[in-house]
Amino acid sequence: MQIRRKKSKVSDEIPTATMADVSFLLIIYFMVTSTFAATRGLDFALPEQEDNPPLIEKEESVLIEIQAAGNIVVDQQPMELGDILEYLEPKLEANPMKPVIIRPDPNAPYGRMVDVFDELRAGVEQGIEVKNISIPTQREIEAFWY
Amino acid sequence: MRLHVRQRQDSVIPTATMADIALLLIIFFIVTFQVEVDKAQVELPSTGIRLEVPKESAYISVTENGEIRVSSGDEISVPVGGPDDVLSFAATVVAQDPQKPFVLKADERTRYQMVDQVIDALKQAKARTIYLLSEQESVQVSGGGG
Repeated sequence: MQIRRKKSKVSDEIPTATMADVSFLLIIYFMVTSTFAATRGLDFALPEQEDNPPLIEKEESVLIEIQAAGNIVVDQQPMELGDILEYLEPKLEANPMKPVIIRPDPNAPYGRMVDVFDELRAGVEQGIEVKNISIPTQREIEAFWY
Repeated sequence: MRLHVRQRQDSVIPTATMADIALLLIIFFIVTFQVEVDKAQVELPSTGIRLEVPKESAYISVTENGEIRVSSGDEISVPVGGPDDVLSFAATVVAQDPQKPFVLKADERTRYQMVDQVIDALKQAKARTIYLLSEQESVQVSGGGG
């Protein structure tokens, strides 16, 4: 006589315990490989007509020079970064399109140029909008300035 | 007399929701995941104004020592010899897409001369927009009330 074995009970649950393990492994992978890269910056539109840049009379513009040590000289006057907008305000009220030229020394740190550019751009928040900022390159200065 | 029947408690930790949470985290990482095309170690300048850099912009990085790397935005950046190579690279990129924005990722301590040559190369290549990559400027809280 054959004795029938008791039927093994099949679980009606879907095993999900390992799913969490796999998911956490994937999370660890993404966390390790992803970096929080800087993806923001100051925009700087370049003139379209490079061959014929508009000639700017030096006397009509405000010249911001950045010396090698990082000191700022505006129209031959030494100035602190925070005082530039105050100096520009009356000039821009008289002529809102007044050109402002940033001219860093070749040995000046790049960060100092960005500081000045950012300060001029931030003028909008104080109601002093500098519309005409130009940063001529050394080649342009040699070619077009007199 | 009423008899208390002791209820047997299951010794299972419910892990089904853990997988859900993990999958949500994975979706977050997949959506925000961006391949960093340039891994040059630079100390970025800090600015108050920071605009989002368009995705798939071309990258040019300049380290403190003047090492230049370029990437069209699709592949990992490669080192180039100097500003002349930047000009040929930018000209190729602009020829393919005249509206392609360029991101300048330069160390704040870099001599401006190096950055000037890179910007000049981009101007000559007829690039339209440059983003000067920066970090968020820390907000200084002034003490004392008014």
